Amino acid sequence: MFDWNQAATALKDVGWTLAVIVALSAMLEVVLWVVLVKWRKARLALPIMLLAPAVIGLLVLYVYPLIWELNVSFTKMGIRNFVNPGILGLTSDPQIFVGLQNYINVFTQPVLKQTGFWQLFAQTIIWTMVNVFFHVVFGVLLAVMLNRRLRGRTVYRALLILPWAIPAFASLQIWRTEFNYQYGAVNQVLGLFGVTPVQWLSDPIANFAAMSITNIWLGVPFMMVITLGGLQSISSDYYEAAELDGASTYQSFRSITIPLLKPVLVPAVLLGTFLTFNNILVPFFINVNELETSDILVTALYRAAFQFSRYGFAAAFAFVIFAILMVFTIFYVRKTNALKGAYE
Amino acid sequence: MKRSLTSAALLTTVALAAGVMPAAAQDFPTGDVAITLWTKEGEADGSFQYVQKLATDYSAVHPNVTITVVNKAVEVLREDFLTSSLAGNAPELLWTVADHVGPFTASNTIMPLNDVVDSAAYLPNSIAAVTAADQLWGVPISYGNHLMLFWNKDMVPEWPADSAALIEAAKANTDAAAGDYGLVFNQTESFWLVPFLGGFGGSVFAEDGITPSLNTEAMVNALTFLHSLKYAEGVTPAEADYDVADGLFKSGKAAMIINGDWTVGAYADAFGDKLGLGPLPPLVGGDFPQPYTAGSFYMVSKAVADDADKLAVIKDFMAWSTAKDQQVAMVETLRRLPTNNEAIADPIVTGDPFLAVSAEAVVHGIPQPTNLEMRCIFDSMTAGVRNLFASADADPAAIAATMQAGAEAGVAPGGECGPA
Repeated sequence: MFDWNQAATALKDVGWTLAVIVALSAMLEVVLWVVLVKWRKARLALPIMLLAPAVIGLLVLYVYPLIWELNVSFTKMGIRNFVNPGILGLTSDPQIFVGLQNYINVFTQPVLKQTGFWQLFAQTIIWTMVNVFFHVVFGVLLAVMLNRRLRGRTVYRALLILPWAIPAFASLQIWRTEFNYQYGAVNQVLGLFGVTPVQWLSDPIANFAAMSITNIWLGVPFMMVITLGGLQSISSDYYEAAELDGASTYQSFRSITIPLLKPVLVPAVLLGTFLTFNNILVPFFINVNELETSDILVTALYRAAFQFSRYGFAAAFAFVIFAILMVFTIFYVRKTNALKGAYE
Repeated sequence: MKRSLTSAALLTTVALAAGVMPAAAQDFPTGDVAITLWTKEGEADGSFQYVQKLATDYSAVHPNVTITVVNKAVEVLREDFLTSSLAGNAPELLWTVADHVGPFTASNTIMPLNDVVDSAAYLPNSIAAVTAADQLWGVPISYGNHLMLFWNKDMVPEWPADSAALIEAAKANTDAAAGDYGLVFNQTESFWLVPFLGGFGGSVFAEDGITPSLNTEAMVNALTFLHSLKYAEGVTPAEADYDVADGLFKSGKAAMIINGDWTVGAYADAFGDKLGLGPLPPLVGGDFPQPYTAGSFYMVSKAVADDADKLAVIKDFMAWSTAKDQQVAMVETLRRLPTNNEAIADPIVTGDPFLAVSAEAVVHGIPQPTNLEMRCIFDSMTAGVRNLFASADADPAAIAATMQAGAEAGVAPGGECGPA
């Protein structure tokens, strides 16, 4: 039964926090107005006043934790050195400072009980490639189908966007239950076709497949919507001209659709790659039995930090993952000229 | 002269009186006190509701005290308590398992209770379970926590005399195509591996109590036995975590289950006279399995030591909730072995047939180590157990070796359970 008292207490706590934030923001705006408008008469006073709360929020919620984490990554903070490092993560205790040792340990010691960085990296690459491939293939396919004159197109669109609309936590809880060997719908449906039930949650390959099925189901709507928007921006003149020249459907698709979709697809694929590479929800929820063969870098990071309490090590691990994604981004953007338009 | 002598006598009298008279007892706080209690007790067997009732009943007696009870799974409780302690907003009180003493004392996040609790009121074994380095770290609530064999008497008439009889009875009740199984247990946690390791003569630690001892013949035998239950004998489901095993047994789809004493109440309610329970049968080629024994304990966040009002309330609440009356009520509701010495002698306890069997079964158990190194042992064994049941081709010897390597890495200097 819903606990109204507990809800009221929680709202009261949140309310106070919100009130403090609003009050501080108001004070900040007053100070900026006095300084920039009344005193300095700055030209950019209004933009600065409008951006200031957001910038300070980013500094407090993103920049400060990053600096704190970077400094913690140089310590052996863990269960036997369970100290809060303090302001900016700069500990005054020389005993727990270990320099770059955590970064070395990321590559040389097991991250989990049995699995090291390179195996996790390979698992993450496979996970990302498989999922992004099917996201793009199914997303483009569905978008092309929906871009035609089709009876009930609006209904189909709504149904296909549903996985994106349902909160991920809710759909993942349902998927996790459906992969249950005894009671799950997936095995029961397979049984109707005479297929032997699959150990989705305990077999390494089956569990990886279960994670991928779930993530593909979740991710296709996003790619479909992006692609559909791109398709609708392509002028029909190109297709008419191609038809006049005798081009086949495939030739039109390859020579017109794909190149003109590129400015839309490339950033979408890049975003999809990031989201999949860093997707902690799906692997965490579907990998119920914590199979190390189903872990990817970010789930291993979570386990290292909060299950094994290796805070310093996990902080270094987080920056290694960040560096990997940064290198990938720079390489990908340069290689694909993603920032250039299709008409240049 | 006379006046100064009188004053001196008066002062002397006051000074003497202050020395010989007992200090005034700390008054119970009169202002509002809010306590958060995290408990491992879940709703499925009614134990969470019992804890909530305790909190409500206490607040009825002390209207200025609010105790908010929150349920967390055992491992989640451990992780979240450490994280919240780091953030400075840990709950004041925990209702948890004894092996959390290791990580919580290593991280200095709970306070010793030597001066807070009257140890003499409790079962000595239960006090010993949460005593480390001559400090008492918990207040016993229930004792046992040991795994036993439960069976449905409609399917299995009597206790299997040994592991061969167990397998025979399980096979007679297994029809995998129909979803009926002879034996179920949690295949995802190493807690269910431990009894069989002990039954084959092994232990998780070497004699020093710190060095992992997992790559042994006893471990290989234990893993081989468990693996055979699923693959060679085919009497267990292909996949079964705690909830699936519990569900199959309660719904009559499993004849026997290996589960803990915390389920006696729920199973007694579900099966009544049809419930059979007893120790795990002795192993052919081994001995009686040796499940870990521990129990449920209160632990107090270190932050409470700086808050006299909260400490006073918590001290009073722990004493009240583990007094004879509340312990007898716990026996009646949850059918768990109490730790209060007066409650243990109560006819409700001594006359309960299920508790009598549970008390017999606990004799075969061994105290669960509570040092920090045990954390790495559990983690390493759990990963091994999951690999064991994942494949028919799993190699117990290789798994034992991998468990040993994982545990050794964990307890080595620099490892999460190793020296600082």
